[in-house]
Amino acid sequence: MSGQTHLAVAYIGMIVALGIWTWTVFARGKNLEARIDSLALAMDETDKLQDELVSTSSEESE
Amino acid sequence: MQRKAELLTMAGLIGSGATLWLGLTWAPSVAIDAFEAPIAQKIFYWHVPSAWAAMLAFLFLFIGSTAWFFKGKDWGWRLHVASSEAGLATGLMAVWSGCIWGAAEWGVPWDWTDIRLNTFAILTLLALFLVLGRRTQPDGVETRDTFATFGMYGFVLVPITYIATRFWQIRHPGPVVATNEGSLNSDMGLVLALGAISFTMLVTGHILSGMKLTKLELRFEELQKEYEERF
Repeated sequence: MSGQTHLAVAYIGMIVALGIWTWTVFARGKNLEARIDSLALAMDETDKLQDELVSTSSEESE
Repeated sequence: MQRKAELLTMAGLIGSGATLWLGLTWAPSVAIDAFEAPIAQKIFYWHVPSAWAAMLAFLFLFIGSTAWFFKGKDWGWRLHVASSEAGLATGLMAVWSGCIWGAAEWGVPWDWTDIRLNTFAILTLLALFLVLGRRTQPDGVETRDTFATFGMYGFVLVPITYIATRFWQIRHPGPVVATNEGSLNSDMGLVLALGAISFTMLVTGHILSGMKLTKLELRFEELQKEYEERF
């Protein structure tokens, strides 16, 4: 391999490494946002279900 | 804010790619007798900006660590986390490109007697320690204080690394910018400036994105704990 080719390979390797690092950071952010949204949704749903159960049981006791 | 950080990172990444391309194809080569490996010298357009970006990341690491340690600021901790990751990535870039150049120019990739090489390597290892340490230790005030202390005292190596080639030039070349001993060819200077600006944007964008990421991680842990406590 000539010096220029050697250098080009090293350069490409480094820019690819930078690209992977950037992609990883962005992907981690998107993944966490999605997990937070689904956890918040699950908590809301469970709260609603609990409220419904409480109101149903109080109606029955009346 | 997050969108701006992503745009800044992407602009920095594109600029870094342009720097590589221009450095390889457009920037003039050094005189054939100036170096043992004149073509390998072109790695300088990558090596210098990445080392500059690493130094910036270590400066932010110091600011974040100090803000957390003395004031208990949450943004300080997030800055500490984000800049240690950015410092590790850019530090590894600088070390790796330096090794490639050293192997071509000196015949060996590393010189254990050179002050700059070794202080910079210690800084990069410090960033590695902080990144791995944070991932393996449970989060808490004591853990954060310990890592913040390393982030603060590690910064001592930054000025030492900067002045190392001025006082103890062993193998690493001396400064080429802000020096009385001649200046760079204007085309070379232009590509180097593009590289420095691009890497500054890249590392700043990464640090901002990293801070947001840490905020999300902490929020997720909080929610998870709340969920487990409730049910």
